[in-house]
Amino acid sequence: MHRHISEQYELELSHIRDSLMEMGGLVEQQVMNACTALIEHDSALAEQVRELESRLNQFEISLDDQCVSIIAKRQPTASDLRRVVSVMKVITDLERIGDEADRIAKMAIRLTGTEMPSHQYSDFREMQKDVILMLHQSLDAFARLDTEGAIRVIRSDEDIDNAYNALIRRCTEAMRDNSEEVEAAVSVMWAGRALERIGDHAKNIGEYVIYQVKGTDVRHGADSNAEPDAD
Amino acid sequence: MSEVSEDNQAAGNEEKVLESSITVDNLSLYYGDKQALSNISMSIAKKQVTAFIGPSGCGKSTLLRCFNRMNDLIDDVHITGSIEFDNIDIHDERVDVAELRRKIGMVFQRPNPFPKSIYENVAYGLRIQGEDSKAVLDERVEWALQSAALWDEVKDRLRDSALGLSGGQQQRLVIARAVAIKPSVLLLDEPASALDPISTLKIEELIHQLKDDYTIAIVTHNMQQAARVSDLTAFLYLGELVEFNETDTIFRNPSERRTEDYITGRYG
Repeated sequence: MHRHISEQYELELSHIRDSLMEMGGLVEQQVMNACTALIEHDSALAEQVRELESRLNQFEISLDDQCVSIIAKRQPTASDLRRVVSVMKVITDLERIGDEADRIAKMAIRLTGTEMPSHQYSDFREMQKDVILMLHQSLDAFARLDTEGAIRVIRSDEDIDNAYNALIRRCTEAMRDNSEEVEAAVSVMWAGRALERIGDHAKNIGEYVIYQVKGTDVRHGADSNAEPDAD
Repeated sequence: MSEVSEDNQAAGNEEKVLESSITVDNLSLYYGDKQALSNISMSIAKKQVTAFIGPSGCGKSTLLRCFNRMNDLIDDVHITGSIEFDNIDIHDERVDVAELRRKIGMVFQRPNPFPKSIYENVAYGLRIQGEDSKAVLDERVEWALQSAALWDEVKDRLRDSALGLSGGQQQRLVIARAVAIKPSVLLLDEPASALDPISTLKIEELIHQLKDDYTIAIVTHNMQQAARVSDLTAFLYLGELVEFNETDTIFRNPSERRTEDYITGRYG
């Protein structure tokens, strides 16, 4: 892609992408810390996640503002337009992922007072690994405009959904077998639900990569033939 | 990419079949030895606005001037290929060029009112066609000025000189003059490039209204103007028609890299 004749426009566009990646990095860190806090009963780490949540909100406000300003001043078209639109969409998803991380942190705080369960959160442990990887890959695909990678992210959402269903099943069994574990199991189910939602948001990010690169909307199964070919 | 746009069309439920007003087939034009247009084939759809965009010297004005044979006035122009207007070859020797230009009116970059009254400017075309009934002229002048969204501003001073109007008003007057003889096509060559932003918006609004009754082809340097006013956009580069598609597609997801580079401001 050639550079814009207007150097300032070029800078503005690359600035929103850089800021978005910075926000993405912070969100990833938040999810990782929240999950670790839960698994290791580390309430200090969970508190830290809760404190940093406000920084994500600031990112959201500032990035939205930059995008609106580009639309107003530059009237972006074609791939520039799709870039600005997809950045705005991704901002919202990242902010919501931040909210889910906050929710997991809340559960982590609630669990620190309880005894470490015998299963050591094995289902949650597996699921969070997959979700964190999926989130990382979605941001990576966005940064590289990698539609192949985006397709892999979109497809992996199904595995996350399956893992979530398994976690629910296991928690239900635990509650049935041992009434003392009910409270902990409910918290884990809430945290699992948050992970499942993070997977959905990562999938959205993958869809915006395809929209940005190819101009096709693959959400809600629309245009399922638009999966990347070799171009 | 063409597959994608077909998909989009199939998905959209407002698929419309456009009737052609002007059909260009394999048109090339030379000024002496220099080729200005190369093998252009396209059709200008009836009652739609078609915009021509491209860098200076790309041939967009030259192409527009082909449609009512304005290039006949330039020495040493040579044309190959064909242009049909309402299914008749406009270069056929039986075609009366004056009549062709009555049906295909043209408005230029700089407003060019005659040094006459506002009224006489609009009545001019009818008068040279032999119309002298005051009632007919009055009615047509008012109608044309209404069509050009100028009536309210000038109705109390129709006998004043047209040269006393502002640039934007003069341009709308020239459009009224073109509309007065009820053409079927309006060719607009940079109609707003000499106007201030508000006058420009008025002209754009006018184009939008005129579309109900006329086929409009507009050449513009201003890409956002093309995006705002047109239904279809043609991008020309070095005398070649690079891409021609619905305006929405051109500005959201063009298929050609050269189009993308031009409309996003990347042309070096």
